[in-house]
Amino acid sequence: MTFKLPAIDYLALAPMLVLFGAACAGVLVDALVPREWRYHVQVPLSLVALLASGGFVVALANRKEHVVTAGSAVVIDGPGLFLQGSIVVLGIVALFLVAERRLEPGGAFVAQAAVVAGSEADRKQMRKPGVTEVYPMMLFALAGMMLFCSANDLLTMFVALEVFSLPLYLLCALARRRRLLSQEAAVKYFLLGAFASAFFLYGVAMIYGYAGKVDFRGINEAVLGSSNSKTLLLIGLAMLAIGLLFKVAAVPFHVWTPDVYQGAPTPITAFMAACTKVAAFGGLLRVLYVAFERSSWDFRPTLGVIAAATMIVGAVLAVTQTDIKRLLAYSSVANAGYLLTGTLSMNRDGLKYTMFYLVAYGFTVLAAFAIVMLVRDSDGEATHLARWAGLGRRSPVFASLFTFLMLAFAGIPLTSGFTAKFGVFAAAVGGNMTWLVIIGVLSSMILAFPYLRVVVLMWLSVPGDDTPTVSVPGAFTAAALFVGVAMTLVLGVAPNQALELVNDAGAFLR
Amino acid sequence: MDPSYYIVLSAALFTIGAVGVLIRRNAIVVFMCIELMLNAANLALITFSRMNGSLDGQIMAFFVMVVAAAEVVIGLAIIMSIFRTRRSASVDDANLLKY
Amino acid sequence: MTVTDILLLALGAVAAGSALRVVTTTHIVRAGLWLVVALGAMAACYLVLTAELVAWVQVLIYVGAVVVLLLFATMLTRAPIGPSPELDRARFPAALIGLGSGGGLAALFIFGYRWGKAELAAPGTAGVLGKEIFSGWVLPFEVLSILLLAALVGAIVVSRGERS
Repeated sequence: MTFKLPAIDYLALAPMLVLFGAACAGVLVDALVPREWRYHVQVPLSLVALLASGGFVVALANRKEHVVTAGSAVVIDGPGLFLQGSIVVLGIVALFLVAERRLEPGGAFVAQAAVVAGSEADRKQMRKPGVTEVYPMMLFALAGMMLFCSANDLLTMFVALEVFSLPLYLLCALARRRRLLSQEAAVKYFLLGAFASAFFLYGVAMIYGYAGKVDFRGINEAVLGSSNSKTLLLIGLAMLAIGLLFKVAAVPFHVWTPDVYQGAPTPITAFMAACTKVAAFGGLLRVLYVAFERSSWDFRPTLGVIAAATMIVGAVLAVTQTDIKRLLAYSSVANAGYLLTGTLSMNRDGLKYTMFYLVAYGFTVLAAFAIVMLVRDSDGEATHLARWAGLGRRSPVFASLFTFLMLAFAGIPLTSGFTAKFGVFAAAVGGNMTWLVIIGVLSSMILAFPYLRVVVLMWLSVPGDDTPTVSVPGAFTAAALFVGVAMTLVLGVAPNQALELVNDAGAFLR
Repeated sequence: MDPSYYIVLSAALFTIGAVGVLIRRNAIVVFMCIELMLNAANLALITFSRMNGSLDGQIMAFFVMVVAAAEVVIGLAIIMSIFRTRRSASVDDANLLKY
Repeated sequence: MTVTDILLLALGAVAAGSALRVVTTTHIVRAGLWLVVALGAMAACYLVLTAELVAWVQVLIYVGAVVVLLLFATMLTRAPIGPSPELDRARFPAALIGLGSGGGLAALFIFGYRWGKAELAAPGTAGVLGKEIFSGWVLPFEVLSILLLAALVGAIVVSRGERS
C-alpha cells in the first residue's frame, strides 16, 4: 500500500513549530536540569522561542504569499498572521508576568499542587520555588492558540482548541496562595470547558452531515449548494457557536469567567484575558467570515441578541463587584460584547477593527493585572476593593498608571480604548447593526461607573492601617507594565501605524 | 436499516449526557456525562461518514477519542489534586466561589 | 423488519437505557459500570456502520482505559461505594429542557435531513484509515501527539504531592 504525504510548507508552519519544539525542549529541561537551574534555563528558552516565532511571523508577513498547506489543514493569510503576531507579542508580555519572582519568594506558582492544605508539608513548600513546568505549558497553549487562528478545517480547529485549553485548565490550578480557590476554579473551568467543547464537536458533526466536508471552503460552497435541509446547518452552526462563545466569555456562557479569573494565579488570569480572547475571536472571525458568510442573515439576529446581552450583563454585574479581579472579569465579559459587535458587522471594517480592538484590549488588560499583582500585603495580593482605598496617597505613581488604564477601559479619548471602541461601533453602523451600537454606547456608560469608582476610591479616600503597600516591581513586571501602558497610550494617540497594519492584513483567504 | 435511526440515537444520547451534566453534582459523574456527549458526537460523525460515503467522519471520530483520553487525564488530575488538598469530589461542595 | 433490524433496535435501546442509568443512578461506581455498557453498545453500532477500526479503538480506549481510569479516580477519592442521595441538583427543570431540546433535535433529524441511500463506503479498516490520515490529516494527527504529551506532563505537575 502506498500513500503520498501532502506537501507541507514548513516556513508557513514555522511560528507554531518553533513553539511546539521549544515546549518539548522545556519538558526535557524539567526532566534533566538540576532543580536550582531550571528557572534560569526555562525563562530564556521560552523568551527566545517566542521571539523566534515572532520573527517568523514577520518574515511570513513580508513574503506576502498566502498559502493553504499541510493537506489544507492550515491557512496562512493576512488576518491569520496578524492574529498570530498579536498572540506572540501579548504572550511575551504575559511571560514577563509569569516569570516574576521578586514580588513573592518563589513566584506566583505553587511548588507541589497536591499537598494537604495547611499541613506541615504545605508550610514547608511555601518557601520552595514554584514549578517550572508552567513555561512549557504556556508555550503549548500559545502554539495551540496560533494554530486555532489559522486552522482551515473544523477538525484541526477542534484539536487546536484542546491544545490550548488543556494547559490553561492546569495552569489555573497552580496558584501559590489561596490554593483551594485556585483548584476549585480549575475544576469549574475544566468541566464547563469540556461541556462546551462537546457542543462544539456535535456542531462539527452536524455540519459534516450537512456539507459532507469540514474544511471552511467546502462548507462555504455547501451553504448554497447542498441539497440537505438548512436546519441541519443552522443547528450545527449554533452548537459550534456555543463552543466558541464559551471561550470568548459571552453571556450566557460566561458563568465561569469571574470564578476562574479570581481563582487562577494572577499572571495566568492576565494571560487568559489577553491571549485566549485573541485566539477565540480569531477562530470565531474565521468561522463566521469564511465558512458561514453566506448565511449571515440567519445568524446575525441571534448573535446580535447575544452580543447585546453580553454588553449589558457584563456592565451591570461589573457595577456590583467588590473584588478587583472579579471586576476585571466582568469587564472582560462586556468587552467580549463590544468585540462581538465588531465581528457581527460582517464587513471589511468589522474585521479590521475587531483585530485592532483585540490587541488594544490585550495590552491594557495585561498592564492592569500587572498592577493587581503589585498591590499586596503579607497575605499576598490584596484584591478586595475596600483595601484599595487611599492607594493614591500611598503610591501616586502606580495609582496614576492604574487610573490611566481604567480610563482606557472606559474608552476616554487619547487612549487605545477610545480608538478601538470607536472603530468597532463605526464598523457596526456601516454593517447595519445600529441598534447594537446604541446598546453598546449605553453599556459603555454603565461600565464607566465601576472604573471611575475604583479611581475615586484610590484618590479620594484616606489610607487606613490595612491599606496594602504597592510592592516595587521586579524587572519583569516593570517591563510588562511599561509595555502595556505605553501601547495603551500609543494606540490611543497615534494609532495610524497599527491601523495600517490591520488594513494591510486584508481579508481572510478563502 | 434507515440511518436516521442512528442519528436519532445519537441525539438521544447527547441529550441524556447534557441533562446529566446539568443535574449531577459529583465531578466524576459529571465527567462521565461529558464522555457520553462526546460519544454521541462520534456516533453522528460515523453515521454521516457512512452516508456521505467518505472516511473523514471516521477519522474525526478516531481523533476525538484521543482528545477525550487527554481530557480524561487532565480532568482526573485536577479532581485528584483537589481531593488531596481537601477531601471531597463534589462540584458544589464547600463552595468558596460564588456565582 | 428483519432480524438484523430487531438486533439493531435492541442495541440502540441498550445504549440509550444504560446512558439513562448513568445519569440517574445514585451509586457512583454503578454509573461507571453502566457507562461501560453504553460505550460497548455504541462500539457495536460502529461495527454495523462498517467503522471497524473506530469500533476496536472505542473498546480499547474508552472501555479499557477511560472508564478504568474513572473508576480508579472514584476509588482514590474515596467516594462512597453505596448509594449517595446527595448526588443530584433539582432535576425537573433540567430534565424538561433536555426532553424538549432532545425531542426537537430528533424530530429535526427525521424530517430535516434528506436521507440519501447509504452508499457503501469501503469499510474503515486500520489500513484504509491510516492511508487517509497520512495523506490528508497529517498535521492534526501530529498535533494530537503533542496534546498527549502536554496532558501527561500537566497531569504529573498538578497531582504531584509530597516528595520523600
